[in-house]
Amino acid sequence: MNETSWRQHLYHGLLWLIALLFFMPVLWIFLAAFKAEGLLVSWPPRWFFTPTLDNLRDVFARPGFWSYLAMSFVLSIGAVVIALVVSFLAAYSFSRYKPTGTNFIMFLLLSVRMVPATAVVVPVFLMYSAFGWSKTFHGMLLFYAMFAIPFSLWILKGFLDGVSERYDETALVNGGSRLHVIFRVVLPQVKPGLVAAFIFNIIFVWNEFLFNYLLGGKGTTMIPVLLATGVNEGGSVDWTFIASLSFIYMLPPILAIFLFQKYLLVGMTFGTVRGEV
Amino acid sequence: MTTSPPILSFDGVTKTYGRTEILRGVTLDVPSGVFTVVYGPPAVGKSVLMRILLGLEAPTDGHVRLRGVDVSATPAADRNVGYVPQSFALYPHLSVRENIAYPLMLAKTPSHEAEPVVARAAAMLKIGELLNKRPDQLSGGQKQRVAIARGIAKRTELYVLDDPLAGLDFKLREQLVEDLRALQQETRASFLYTTSDAIEALTLADHLAVLDGGRIAESGDPERLYREPAHARTMALVGFPPTNFLNGALEMVGEAGTPHCRTRLFDFPVRLEPGTVVGSGSVTVGLRPEDLALGPKDPSSNHNASDRLRLEARVVLREDLGGEEIVYLDCAGTLLSALDRHHHHRGHDGLDGRTTVAIHPRDLILFKPGSGERIGRGVAGGGGTMGFRQ
Repeated sequence: MNETSWRQHLYHGLLWLIALLFFMPVLWIFLAAFKAEGLLVSWPPRWFFTPTLDNLRDVFARPGFWSYLAMSFVLSIGAVVIALVVSFLAAYSFSRYKPTGTNFIMFLLLSVRMVPATAVVVPVFLMYSAFGWSKTFHGMLLFYAMFAIPFSLWILKGFLDGVSERYDETALVNGGSRLHVIFRVVLPQVKPGLVAAFIFNIIFVWNEFLFNYLLGGKGTTMIPVLLATGVNEGGSVDWTFIASLSFIYMLPPILAIFLFQKYLLVGMTFGTVRGEV
Repeated sequence: MTTSPPILSFDGVTKTYGRTEILRGVTLDVPSGVFTVVYGPPAVGKSVLMRILLGLEAPTDGHVRLRGVDVSATPAADRNVGYVPQSFALYPHLSVRENIAYPLMLAKTPSHEAEPVVARAAAMLKIGELLNKRPDQLSGGQKQRVAIARGIAKRTELYVLDDPLAGLDFKLREQLVEDLRALQQETRASFLYTTSDAIEALTLADHLAVLDGGRIAESGDPERLYREPAHARTMALVGFPPTNFLNGALEMVGEAGTPHCRTRLFDFPVRLEPGTVVGSGSVTVGLRPEDLALGPKDPSSNHNASDRLRLEARVVLREDLGGEEIVYLDCAGTLLSALDRHHHHRGHDGLDGRTTVAIHPRDLILFKPGSGERIGRGVAGGGGTMGFRQ
């Protein structure tokens, strides 16, 4: 084995070590979901044990779990789909018609991502109270859509800029309408961008707690709020509840990330490696 | 040339972007059923002109008449023009077959009617075996063939090809040029083609239009434009290698006032164009490189004929093009280029690269320096002094 090969193995070994270190808490939660209550916080941690499904059964039987889970799915998917439709059309307009100030608007949109959520809690709360949208389903849906739009628009504009306008023109000259160009010519070519934007935003909405807690009512509560509010039921911290609910709740995004990981890479690089998808 | 009404006319088409004027009143008739080439240097506005024709951009001023109807405000989709863009613009999510059938699909042509059209276009472009492939599985030349096939699959009588061979390698271009010629002759449709390659323009064109400085400098039969350019820019642009231009002075000599041209290198008598009213003054003299005969061994030059202007020159550089050479000559401080088709006779260069050059005065064309308008041509003899200027 030559020196380069040794170095490469060492480098890979180091990367694996770091990756495992960061994966440890996730592994701990996964294992904890199948541990009996007494084993959960034992020290040193028990890596080998007889697994039990009691914790999961408890979670499934908890009042409101299924409606909260359904709300998580409905709000996440609904808001992100609305955001993607709006963002895709807006990105097309910015990319093709290049209105004055496009660059500044794109900068503003990106800067929205830099504002901590807590900074906008009060104005959003006041606005929602004034509109009467607090504790309403459509209020939460629109809020999450609004929050997902800037980032989706940013990603999609990058992708659309990469699709040559000659495609549009060829379609127009051959008798296609503008809607045909948008949905039949351009959209299939930015599919990786749409999937990337969808995954990124759905993870954001799926895990959102603060606004769901403050703006949402009983009918719009998602799992993260249940996770926070259900922790202290019975007087002490219910670790088995945390572990098993976290396990259940983490499965859908992990599955989505596993299935669409190549699109996430594309999204993170803003389409620069689009050709590899 | 056809006498039928033009299929397309540009009438004073102007296009400006901000303060930049790209097209300055382009006026051009495109004859029906022939291969028309709009030729001009890069970035002169050829593609802009095509985009205006296609309806992708609106003219700042002027009109476009298609099939006799003013279409200046007609949307692109309603102009019914076949289009082959410079970049292939093949849809990556469609197969080759679907790409070719695309204009037919948009026209809602039933598949049993579309399929034979696709097959015929593919056969014409020799891409029948590629129909089930995706564009990313094709080479550059194959992609361009597919783009052309898609362009001609459209049922129309006017096809616009916007410099479709740009960026392809020489051999591929040669092959595609032949195929395009054959295609036009087979379909008898009107082809409007843009290029910045002089040889491509001359090879393809039945009708050639030279776009320069935002205007059509000249248009017509390519042979006439080459042999009898009416404008200095036409002579400068149409042909390869580029034309030699010399500064000269037009004088009226003798009692009869015979026009005579004096340059740094030679003097020669001139026949002015009919109706040209020109007094003495400066002129520009154009001379094509192939009209300079090198050395006495050139069998076709009649080098020693008495009606030739003869110069002594020093060979600065020989650029081998395979079958011929471009020879750069220093003639008493003036640099001229010559095309040597007999370079296997190269023995006529002296030890220090010295040679002699013979020019027939009729190959010298005179233009007005400002407007570039042609005013006359050299003639042999004619009563004036003629020959090498010492």
